[in-house]
Amino acid sequence: MQTALKTTSIKQKTNQALGVNLEDARISKSYLAVAFIAVLLGGLLGLVQGLNRAGVLTLPAWANYYQVLTAHGLLLVVVFSAFFTIGYFYAGLSHTLGGLLPKVRKIAWVGFWTKIVGFVLVVIPVLMNEASVMYTFYPPMAAHPMFYFGLVLIVLGVWALSVGAFMQVAHWRKNHKGQHLPIMAFFATGVFILLVGATAFVAVEVLFLIIPWVLGWTDGINVMLSRTLFWAFGHTAVNIWYLTAVSAWYVVIPKIIGGHRWSDLLTRMVVIPLVIMNITGGFHHQIVDPAISEGIKYMHVFMSLAIGFPSLMTAYALFRVFERTARQKGGTGFIGWFKKMPWGDVRFLSPFIAMVAFIPAGAGGIVQSTNQLDQVVHNTMWIVGHFHLTLGMSVVMTFFGISYWLIPYLSKRVLTPNMNKVGVVQTIIWTVGMVIMAISMHIAGLFGSPRRTSFTTYGDFAEQLGWNPLMAAVGIGATLLLIAVILQVYAVFNMMFFAPKGETEFPIAEEEPGAAKTPYWTERWGVWVVLMLLVISMAYVIPIVDMIVNAPPGSPPFKTW
Amino acid sequence: MGQFIAGLLLLLALMIPPVATLMESVMIIHMHMQMPMLIIAGFFMGRFFLDRFPQFFKKYNQNGLPGILLFTIIMVYWMLPRTMDEALTVQTVEAFKFISLPFLAGVPLRDSWKKLNKVGRNNLITLFAVMFIGFGWLYIQSNAQLCNNYLVIDQIILGWGFITMAICLVIYLAYSLLVDPSQYE
Repeated sequence: MQTALKTTSIKQKTNQALGVNLEDARISKSYLAVAFIAVLLGGLLGLVQGLNRAGVLTLPAWANYYQVLTAHGLLLVVVFSAFFTIGYFYAGLSHTLGGLLPKVRKIAWVGFWTKIVGFVLVVIPVLMNEASVMYTFYPPMAAHPMFYFGLVLIVLGVWALSVGAFMQVAHWRKNHKGQHLPIMAFFATGVFILLVGATAFVAVEVLFLIIPWVLGWTDGINVMLSRTLFWAFGHTAVNIWYLTAVSAWYVVIPKIIGGHRWSDLLTRMVVIPLVIMNITGGFHHQIVDPAISEGIKYMHVFMSLAIGFPSLMTAYALFRVFERTARQKGGTGFIGWFKKMPWGDVRFLSPFIAMVAFIPAGAGGIVQSTNQLDQVVHNTMWIVGHFHLTLGMSVVMTFFGISYWLIPYLSKRVLTPNMNKVGVVQTIIWTVGMVIMAISMHIAGLFGSPRRTSFTTYGDFAEQLGWNPLMAAVGIGATLLLIAVILQVYAVFNMMFFAPKGETEFPIAEEEPGAAKTPYWTERWGVWVVLMLLVISMAYVIPIVDMIVNAPPGSPPFKTW
Repeated sequence: MGQFIAGLLLLLALMIPPVATLMESVMIIHMHMQMPMLIIAGFFMGRFFLDRFPQFFKKYNQNGLPGILLFTIIMVYWMLPRTMDEALTVQTVEAFKFISLPFLAGVPLRDSWKKLNKVGRNNLITLFAVMFIGFGWLYIQSNAQLCNNYLVIDQIILGWGFITMAICLVIYLAYSLLVDPSQYE
């Protein structure tokens, strides 16, 4: 035991002295490379859609709008976010837990290739226009079976990576009895638990409902049940990316601005409730769905707002860290201390704008989880605007900010002042583009413009023509966003392969001096997982049993495109 | 005192007629949400009683078993279809529910839980897992309407609620059997 302790602590010291383990870095770099190629392709398709909706681009005969939309959603929501999260957290696990274990490394590669093969299987039918079912793949729309086999492989890859992460954490804890898991690894544990929990639902949907149905083994599918299983996954997936961004806000940003982490207990108490209560939030995506009674939907408003509470704690904690750090640097005045923040540092600027964007994004989310308000905006462009604020700004801009230190750290290079400038310019262009696009989408949605609809003038109907200026603004926003994407992808690959050699730090902030000791019960992951399962079973048993027992005849598959 | 007030406020909130009516309108929410919340209210209020009457608990609940026995009896009583039905139709039974679950189940659970060792706690969880499977089976397979106030579909949902709870308890038991905390703590 003593020897094991010693070896690990030597390993950790070596890690800090020599920087990243090259083999671990290769894993994370591969994930990040795939993630940013996905951003480039997904961004390009986003522009195609934006210009189509703006009425300035007619798609060629060999491509249809829904095909482009499906690919855009899959590339950005499934590939970019997942690959980035895994690359980032595996780097974090390697850095804070003394390097990955050889077997965990193997698992990470198996997971990588399983996901890649799965993704290729998904892409082929999408390119063939055999799977234009959008990233939600709601039955009774049915894609080519290969699309679903690909999804299964992606899920298997995620599970492999989660097992690897759990093994790494368990190994560290065995060798560090009674110690708290380093905070970055704590976030990673929460995220991988949620990944397993979320993908379990979509695995049931795809394996037991959809695949037998598209292969013709069953006559019909229970549409409501599939949608419910999908949203248990879909909602949680979104929150996983958000939790990943939050981990950087709590752990990395304080270090970058030269401050300390505030309240380790509070940070851990943001992760634990988000893990326990997250999956059931799926219901607020189904507020206008039939087959769930009003009373149940009403009760789920509480669950949704309960997830909002940790976000409020986060807002408080972070602005406290900002103010305290800025005042230590000589900042004064009621808001004058803001001037002392490192605005010229892209590693801070981009995540900061991401945090600010979460204020309107979160408020919009509360609108959508409120029954009466959701009736107005459901399935309109408002929703599209909402998730471009949450994912496209709060999450993605944090990920972009991370890339400016994570990639140099992994490739043993440095962030040059010039590249930092590119990053700042990229951040500004992205912000302007996304603000124009998201606000226009929200307003167009309020006026009734539907989402997931190719450009049409509705027979030149006057009221609908009123949406066109807003949709033109969406086109302008999308154009700016693609420029920002190109800059970002250039920066990523430059930092990965061409930037000057040197050591870059993995920034992890220390706790404030004199901070209270965090109680050990925060480490009882087994208990949190059982509580999570209890909350899930309480939340899902009523609608799911009802949907199965009182199911209407199943629907045959439809190809609507 | 803070915990007592929190528990009392929770109890009072659950007693507000519209809240009670809403929760009792769905069978599973009546049994699996309102009733556990009443116990939680009692669990919080228990702190006050333990501080105020330590001798009483020391004398009558020395090793925790009498308290757990009382808790179990109250729990089993309220898991029967008939008692739930009566709570909805007979005012005194409803009043008994709001008294018995916090004060005769929640308070003794608080005192007893810390007096039980790991084996005692896991035995209690095993007992409830088995009971939940039994009650789950009862509610799922019964074609007859067991409560006048609830439909057969409500019964089936409640039955599956019992089964899923039992699965969670079994997972917890497996976790506490397979994972040795002394390896980590």
